[in-house]
Amino acid sequence: MTELSIQNGDPRKVWARLGDVPAALYLLVILFVGLSVASPYFLTQANLINIVLQASVVLIISLGMTLIIITEGIDLSLGPVLSFAGVVFGAALVAGWSFPVAMIAGIVAAMLIGGLNGYLIAYHDLQPFIVTLGTFGLAMSFAMSISGGESISGLPSGVQWFNDGHILGLPFPIWATAALFLLTHILLKHTRFGRYVYAIGGNRKALQLAGVRVNLWQTSIYVYAAALAGFASFIMTARTNAAHPTVGMGLEFDAIAAAVLGGASFSGGKGTLFGAAAGALAVATLRNGLNLMNVAAEWQSAAVGVVIIAAVAGDAIRGRT
Amino acid sequence: MTVANSQETMPAKAPLSENVTWLLSRMTALATLIVALSFASPYFFQTGNFVNILKQASFQFLMSSGLTIVVLTAGIDLSIGAVLGLAACVGASFLANGQIFYGVGSALLVGFTCGLVNGSLIAYLRIPSFIATYGMLWIAVGLSFVFMDGQVIYGFPESFRVMGSGFIGPIPTPILIAAILLIIMVITLNHTKLGRTLYAIGGNRNAARLSGMPVKFWEMMAYGISGLLAGFAGLVIIARTGAVDAGVGNDLLLPTIAAVVLGGTSLMGGRGGIVGTAIGALILAIILNGMNLLGVDTYWQIGVLGSVTVLAVLADDKISKHIDMRG
Amino acid sequence: MKYSKFIKAVAVGMALITATGSLPGAAYAEGEKVAVFLKNISNPYWRAVRIGSEKAAKEYGLDITIVAPTKPDNIEEQTRQVEDWIVKKPDAFVFVPVDYKAMEPLVHKANEAGIPVINFSNRVENVDLVSYIGSDDFTIGYEAAKYLFDEIGGAGKVVYIEGVPAAITAQRRKAGFEKALSEYENIELLTSQTGMYRRLPALQVMENLLQRYPEIDAVMAANDDMAVGVVEALKTAGRLDGVPVMGVDVIPDAAQLIKDGKMFASADYSGHDQGYLAVVAAARHLRGEEVPANISLPVVIVNQGNVDPWLLEPEQKPTPDWDAVIAAQ
Repeated sequence: MTELSIQNGDPRKVWARLGDVPAALYLLVILFVGLSVASPYFLTQANLINIVLQASVVLIISLGMTLIIITEGIDLSLGPVLSFAGVVFGAALVAGWSFPVAMIAGIVAAMLIGGLNGYLIAYHDLQPFIVTLGTFGLAMSFAMSISGGESISGLPSGVQWFNDGHILGLPFPIWATAALFLLTHILLKHTRFGRYVYAIGGNRKALQLAGVRVNLWQTSIYVYAAALAGFASFIMTARTNAAHPTVGMGLEFDAIAAAVLGGASFSGGKGTLFGAAAGALAVATLRNGLNLMNVAAEWQSAAVGVVIIAAVAGDAIRGRT
Repeated sequence: MTVANSQETMPAKAPLSENVTWLLSRMTALATLIVALSFASPYFFQTGNFVNILKQASFQFLMSSGLTIVVLTAGIDLSIGAVLGLAACVGASFLANGQIFYGVGSALLVGFTCGLVNGSLIAYLRIPSFIATYGMLWIAVGLSFVFMDGQVIYGFPESFRVMGSGFIGPIPTPILIAAILLIIMVITLNHTKLGRTLYAIGGNRNAARLSGMPVKFWEMMAYGISGLLAGFAGLVIIARTGAVDAGVGNDLLLPTIAAVVLGGTSLMGGRGGIVGTAIGALILAIILNGMNLLGVDTYWQIGVLGSVTVLAVLADDKISKHIDMRG
Repeated sequence: MKYSKFIKAVAVGMALITATGSLPGAAYAEGEKVAVFLKNISNPYWRAVRIGSEKAAKEYGLDITIVAPTKPDNIEEQTRQVEDWIVKKPDAFVFVPVDYKAMEPLVHKANEAGIPVINFSNRVENVDLVSYIGSDDFTIGYEAAKYLFDEIGGAGKVVYIEGVPAAITAQRRKAGFEKALSEYENIELLTSQTGMYRRLPALQVMENLLQRYPEIDAVMAANDDMAVGVVEALKTAGRLDGVPVMGVDVIPDAAQLIKDGKMFASADYSGHDQGYLAVVAAARHLRGEEVPANISLPVVIVNQGNVDPWLLEPEQKPTPDWDAVIAAQ
């Protein structure tokens, strides 16, 4: 961290600062420049907004995921939590609840799962991986049984504003993502919550000895991550104008990949919000680029795999020299 | 005698008492499930059903055995289902022409190669296993798509299919195969230098390195073996189902991880073992079987599976702490 | 010097990206650009759809691109794909939604962007469609179930193996099955369990159910991959004789089992024909012809008697005659 504050001027030191730049940012820059040259559709306002919109859901989830990874945890349940919150939100709206109440219901549903995660992980000292694998199933079952296994549609038309609504020329999800990024950043850097996030990852015992109610704080991290996923579900619901019980499938892995591309590490509890955001944007840009360049679906998965590995490998090789 | 030895070279090998505790709590979870289901369904406690459960657990064990090795080294292999699928697809293309030797060989080779790629990225480039194998997952999925082109391959020789759906005497072949694999792995992990090395890599890497073990090489090989076993599991699966398409590995990952963790192998590495995974596979198969017998609603099956998994781990935790305290 | 390294990295990246452009993507002619959206690329059913649509593209000189989610039936991924393709503005969309409700706003966006949409397989409601082609999942579930129930004399104990929970096709096929069930009062549904649309889970579920139910008169599975798994489980348990198994889709190995008399029948939804007709409809619409708003295809029940044409690879299948199909509407 201290290396980051080296004064500018000496190019070597600037490079040293660049050394802290996550793989995701290099990938993002390379993709951006490359795709601008390679595809006439890429560098247009519509497409760039498109990419940010597409990245927004994963980006929001990856913020919470990064906090959890810093505590040396993981949360596999966030994808189904998103589905669950979306279904509760949708069902509440269809039942005629008002907007704010339906939103609160959705977020509370998400937070309940997050709370269960945190409770089992913090108070019972169970492995985050297995706990959240369990709640993964639980959240999915809740989502399916509430929705009856089908998309909940017929939502009030206002819902789509969460996707289409514009403020100062930019769509709502972009503002929401930026706001949540800032909020999480402030929480992490300027509050007790943030200090404890780092401390739980670094030295949980010491924190406990200092009389901090570590279990409670650790639980709150999982609750916060779930709440973010709950919020992301509104954007997801708005995009499809329906709440589907499995729409969040696989998003947890995308979010983890974004965080790791952004430099997060499971051992040692490292991770930055900025990196995770860059990771989410890089993957969205990559997928967008593959579509714009007409790459056949069967090659797309392979390309995504190769690029993710190459980006992290490049980073690893660079880190050694 | 080996215990004294372990003080120097195998810092992670658990002392006997811990092993007993560990096995006891696992067995308790298993026994609880069996008793509960025997009361819940009259169809559960039947010889036929037990053979059935053993067979299904055998498949789960084949898939989870390779992952166990990786997890012992404190890694994870997310590509296991996808690699299994790719290996099965490639193998099937030979098998459908009756070329059993090439079919089996190519599937194992594909699995092993994917595993080695994972392993070298992780061991030598120090890429986190989570991201390297996540990348490999997509590569293997993509290559299966390309290789299969949406087709289904079927019509394998009967002599090959025996592996998955045949009997040797009264015992279904997959059970026998799983049993043999279990014995080999128990011996390898507990009684050879290789086994001790793998435990040490996950348990105490520095100590392992200081004691002169080729840590990187064996860490890479752990993924290689995992891939190889995934390829093998793919073969047994297609021998059982008689056909393959590019989606054969879908949805296999999470249960595979669940069986390992249910078996008590710690994701932090160095603790647990293959017997645990066998028990974990059994627990998983019993839960699935029980849900079918009881007719649990489709929407709730995954939730029940998740809850039982967490409860099992929770109970296990409490039981082992209890036993620990008493002695 | 290190900056030059960075620039080099960017350059290599650019070169690679440009190279990616040469990865295979279908391109046949200089003709109108049409994006064909499918649900997945691993199931042989969708391969038949793809080949059908490629035949039409060749015949009419269209430049089509097949677009399908890499995670099978993934809503989020198809959403992104449609958004990306709206940016590219092809001349038409030929569209199968992974979920017909969730894709509604996306099709609406395509409408707003002025891209004509030909929909097939699952109808998207409340949007402007040039044409809708297909038979629906409800009907196929219903027809298949009725055929199976008649086979066992309208009375007996039946097991239903469902598709992926919360997948729209699984929902609709089951609803069709249940409607048929309500019409046959002597048919008893023993249980309905999911086989995840996959062979291995279906096989294992069936093995478990065979322990639970000593008497099963017939089994219906929501797709053929599962039906084949069911046949496999029955065979191993020695209970295949006299238990008809019904599937949906007529995939190649199911056709072979039907031919060999091991599986009872399957209902075809003719993916090949739907893919072909949908792309033809796109071509004709783009060239100013009138295309019917609704082209419905009948459900075909495939049994041992009429299975032979289904043993052909989709490449060898004859394409349907457009005029004859239209005349039959």
